[in-house]
Amino acid sequence: MKKELHITVNGDECHLLVATHRTLLEVIRDEIGLTGTKNGCGAGECGACTVLLDGEPVNSCLVLAHEAEGRKVVTIEGLAKAGVLHPVQEAFVEEGAIQCGYCTPGMVLTTKALLDKNPTPSRQEILDGLKGNLCRCTGYIKILEAVETAKCLLEERGSEWADV
Amino acid sequence: MGGCVIGKGLPRIDAVPKVTGEAQYTVDLKMPGMLIAKILRSPHPHAIIRSIDTTAARQLKGVHAVITSQDVPDNLFSFYHWLADKHILCVDKVRYVGDEVAAVAAVDEDTAEEALSLIRVDYEPLPAVFDVEEAMEPGAPLVHDGKESNATWSVDRLFGDPDKALAECDYVVEGKYVTHQVAHTCLEVSNCVAKWDKSDRLTIWTNTQAPHTQRQEVARILGIPRRQVRLISSYMGGGFGSKLVMDMKLPIAAVLSRMTGRPVRIVNTRSEEFTTAKTRYPYTMFLRTGATKDGQIMVRDLRVIGDAGAYHDKGPATINFSSMMFGTLYNVPHIRYHADMVYTNKEMGTAFRGFGNPQMAFATECQLDELAEQIGMDPLALRLANSNCAMETTSCGAEVCGCGMTDCMVEASKRMGWDEKRATKPDGVRRGVGVANMVHTGGGGRFYGFNSAEAFIKLSDEGTVTLITSALDMGQGAHTAMAQIAAEGLGVRLSDVNVMSHDTDLTPYDLGSWGSRASFMDGNAVLAAALDAKKALVEAAAEMLEVDADDVVIEESQIWVKGLDEKHDLSEIVDHSVNAHGLPISGAGKFVDKLPEGYTIPTAFAKNIPCFSFGTQMAEVEVDEETGQVTVLKVVAAHETGTTLNQTMAEGQIEGSVAQGIGYALMERLVHEDGRVVNDRFLDYKIPNIGDVPEIEALLVESEGTDGPFGAKGIGEPGLVPTAPAIANAIYDAIGVRFRELPITREMVLEALRENRS
Amino acid sequence: MKAFEYVRPSSLEEACAALAGSGGGAKALAGGTDLVVQMKQGGLRPTMLVSLRDVPGLAFVGVGDDLTLTIGAAAPLATVEHSLEVRRHYPAVADAASWIGSAQVRSRATVGGNLCNAAPSADMAPILLAYDALATITDGRSERTLPLEEFFTGPGQTVLEPGELLKSISVPPCPTGFGKYYKTFRSAMDCCTVGVAVWVSFADDTAAVQDARVALGAVAPTPIRSRSCERVLIGETLDQALIERACVAATEDALPITDVRASADYRVTLVSVLSRRALDAARVWAQKGAGG
Repeated sequence: MKKELHITVNGDECHLLVATHRTLLEVIRDEIGLTGTKNGCGAGECGACTVLLDGEPVNSCLVLAHEAEGRKVVTIEGLAKAGVLHPVQEAFVEEGAIQCGYCTPGMVLTTKALLDKNPTPSRQEILDGLKGNLCRCTGYIKILEAVETAKCLLEERGSEWADV
Repeated sequence: MGGCVIGKGLPRIDAVPKVTGEAQYTVDLKMPGMLIAKILRSPHPHAIIRSIDTTAARQLKGVHAVITSQDVPDNLFSFYHWLADKHILCVDKVRYVGDEVAAVAAVDEDTAEEALSLIRVDYEPLPAVFDVEEAMEPGAPLVHDGKESNATWSVDRLFGDPDKALAECDYVVEGKYVTHQVAHTCLEVSNCVAKWDKSDRLTIWTNTQAPHTQRQEVARILGIPRRQVRLISSYMGGGFGSKLVMDMKLPIAAVLSRMTGRPVRIVNTRSEEFTTAKTRYPYTMFLRTGATKDGQIMVRDLRVIGDAGAYHDKGPATINFSSMMFGTLYNVPHIRYHADMVYTNKEMGTAFRGFGNPQMAFATECQLDELAEQIGMDPLALRLANSNCAMETTSCGAEVCGCGMTDCMVEASKRMGWDEKRATKPDGVRRGVGVANMVHTGGGGRFYGFNSAEAFIKLSDEGTVTLITSALDMGQGAHTAMAQIAAEGLGVRLSDVNVMSHDTDLTPYDLGSWGSRASFMDGNAVLAAALDAKKALVEAAAEMLEVDADDVVIEESQIWVKGLDEKHDLSEIVDHSVNAHGLPISGAGKFVDKLPEGYTIPTAFAKNIPCFSFGTQMAEVEVDEETGQVTVLKVVAAHETGTTLNQTMAEGQIEGSVAQGIGYALMERLVHEDGRVVNDRFLDYKIPNIGDVPEIEALLVESEGTDGPFGAKGIGEPGLVPTAPAIANAIYDAIGVRFRELPITREMVLEALRENRS
Repeated sequence: MKAFEYVRPSSLEEACAALAGSGGGAKALAGGTDLVVQMKQGGLRPTMLVSLRDVPGLAFVGVGDDLTLTIGAAAPLATVEHSLEVRRHYPAVADAASWIGSAQVRSRATVGGNLCNAAPSADMAPILLAYDALATITDGRSERTLPLEEFFTGPGQTVLEPGELLKSISVPPCPTGFGKYYKTFRSAMDCCTVGVAVWVSFADDTAAVQDARVALGAVAPTPIRSRSCERVLIGETLDQALIERACVAATEDALPITDVRASADYRVTLVSVLSRRALDAARVWAQKGAGG
């Protein structure tokens, strides 16, 4: 059975008719057509489907779409502004933290959520914050470097990105 | 050895599409009218199929087609056609839990799943065999009827006189080593979309590492001409060897698409990815190593039983390849190697980063430490004393050109603090350091009788360069490396190079991205194409500027005449040539690997390898004696690159490999109960997450003498080969226990410590 | 997932009524990080999901003036993890929450969900049991409160009747003591293989144990209190010898199974090891003088 669903995705209000058993991931990818958010495991164990729900990182494969009624969702497509990369994205590019790129959208959003809440995380806090994002390609070393770089970039320019 | 573009850690050219979410993977493709297909898979490890009733499934609203073996060509398939043993859909028997029995195409995933549940299959279970040693015994259940035994392929190598050498050695160590099935766990699961067009041509979009060979495989199993088949790939969410050989999803999707007249998509669930997407080949190994009292390794004798799983794939090539590495490292004069590939009723194996070498290195490098202990030598000293040398031909005929092996060991030792850490242990904790060496191919192999590549370059009048290459980028950065080589060869900015790949209609025939061959093989072809295009560009510039070709300089997309200040943009020259003279500027290049004198496939052995890559890893671990938990504190990984094409990407390859190696050493194993994988999810099949990786120092060791582009060697696989033995050797240094089985779990460590105490 | 009816009531009465009226086919949905997985993979097929998202009063987390800790059943783990009050007065509870899953899981997963899912390894259970927590259950009209220890009845089973919801968990104020949760896991993100939580109070400034509560996770059909271990400890001086005896007693209460995560034997060993580490830490804390 389908129900009306109103969510804001990357600043755009979406009015959809969605079956009750659809997940937020399915709605983002299939109904709205934003394929940057990836399906890695469907069970909340890999973090590839991470989006921000009212600023909190969540595994969208486990959020029933209707639980997001009236909420704000930010996907990877919502970060860059007018062709300018978000500092976290820029850091990932600069530090070589991207290989196959499949874990990247989730990893970037989790990093953003972490740094938004805690602009000066310790190494352990970074590790704890990103444990839920699996990567099979990079060995995480350059991802860690990217987070440290993003920390600095946000310190310099954070105020320009406060509304994302 | 750096040029303008080579060597620098430049950001990869596809980083932005990936970091913004714009990069489309084949799983993201949308097509009008696309149907979703699901596969019905056997719940039994070994059973006769008595009957299949698809009536109810066919009648379900939203189902467009249901197929069984009756609806598909009955050709048999395997990577090696003379070993063909698998039908598209099982005909009379299923041979592992997950074997394809039927398939459904429906309007959506829910309907397809429901349809699967309506298919009635009557199975008659048969006795099954899961252990390779049991599978080799007479009277074991035969996975494939009509064969004499489950051991259906073997490799034998003999050099020198191993028995005599063993008898004469001062020290001989013997041991049995076991590794198990592990999964690639690419973040993007295996998937495809198949579609026929009105001229009866089949296009398949799929995440493949080898579109040209897979295209041939699809044509072969469907029994249609190759020209009817086109394969298109895209950005790939990982490969590591899992996506080289066609899997049955492709022909299944093709048949369903033909039947329904619609595009058909099949996507593995994560569970299917663990249970059917093929694994690393487990090796059970019986190894002997003999040395003189001065520490010269004289003889190595290895018997391998490889677990093929239910069907053949790259197994024969894998046990063949590990024999080549076995015969090359340390240039041991007397070598005996015997390996069998044995069927069992389990998920089949395929290529996986390292291709038999990580399995074998676990045995050989762990045993070397035992040998060192018996002789009374430091394990590193023993290895230094037996190091391979540049420009040598080994006793097995391997032609080593550039060799940085000693450098790797020396550098790693410094960075790890080997001597200090071996000599002094901290109080209150159990720590240890271990070392392991490796050799791998840095340029693929000649064993298919064909080892070459081709590339094309076109220049446009706005100054951009289009490179057409068959190198596949599965994340390792091949496209960036190719673009860098093209940019360096031509003299243009990296940002001016666009890479086109992915489409078998467009790209030259190529064996695919495996065996760390892309940088070496495709890179050489790209360089040749770039130099060819540069020649044409120089001539065009000479003509336009009215100077001699020898006086033309091209650098960073700027062209000028020696001794003169005035600079021209690349676009001016091309524009003039194209629009004023009607002459396009382009280049074509081939690289044909020169086969050595007297090369034949059966006898070639290590001469199959165009370029060897050596390396050393050292691991430092801490063992919690109460819980058995092993924590890796640091890994130093020194690997040859020949010439480093892109420092950041090369480090990334090594770091990623080491992380996989840690998983292989300590965490990963597909666990079976009655043939069924019980840990088919990330919750229970643990791969390292960000909290599990130690400090990893990747040392890139450059050396001369390689035929790769600008002297480069491949770096995709070497980083995974020595990690597990380095960790196992470190554990011995920490707690005095040797492990001969992977993964080394907490329970194994605790059990061994208990036994030691009693 | 199979289709189901989805309702999002805006009061406790409505929620309980929806649960009661479904003939047992309805499930309460809080964070969904266990429930949705089970619906996708484990064969769970509720006919209705009752979302607790808009039900007021279920997500409160706070420490009262009398130091009673109250955690609403629908409070996300992240809220407990980051609550300054919980960190200050009940750091072991905040720690236990912070070690569950990942940041993404903790944004959604709730304390109530973790307890109502009632896995033998439920990570919030041991420390709350060690704190003698109480569970308040509501049917929309009236409430009942019982010790958390009585809440679990079997693997995946609780005392909740159809139409009932877990409303909140409370930890009654207790004298100054040392509370801590230890768990082992196979990698940096994992459900626990074995969990041990302790709470120990000491007489005056000595190492004489006044009261002790020891709780074990993942080694029995439900999370349990190890009464044997507690009996050994209470009234005795906490020294190495006592700790050894206490650990043996703890293993006697453990009835673990062998599964893909660990063997029963290994779990028993870990109970002993973790109990020892926990009690050692308590002993050190006592020696330093009760720091509050």
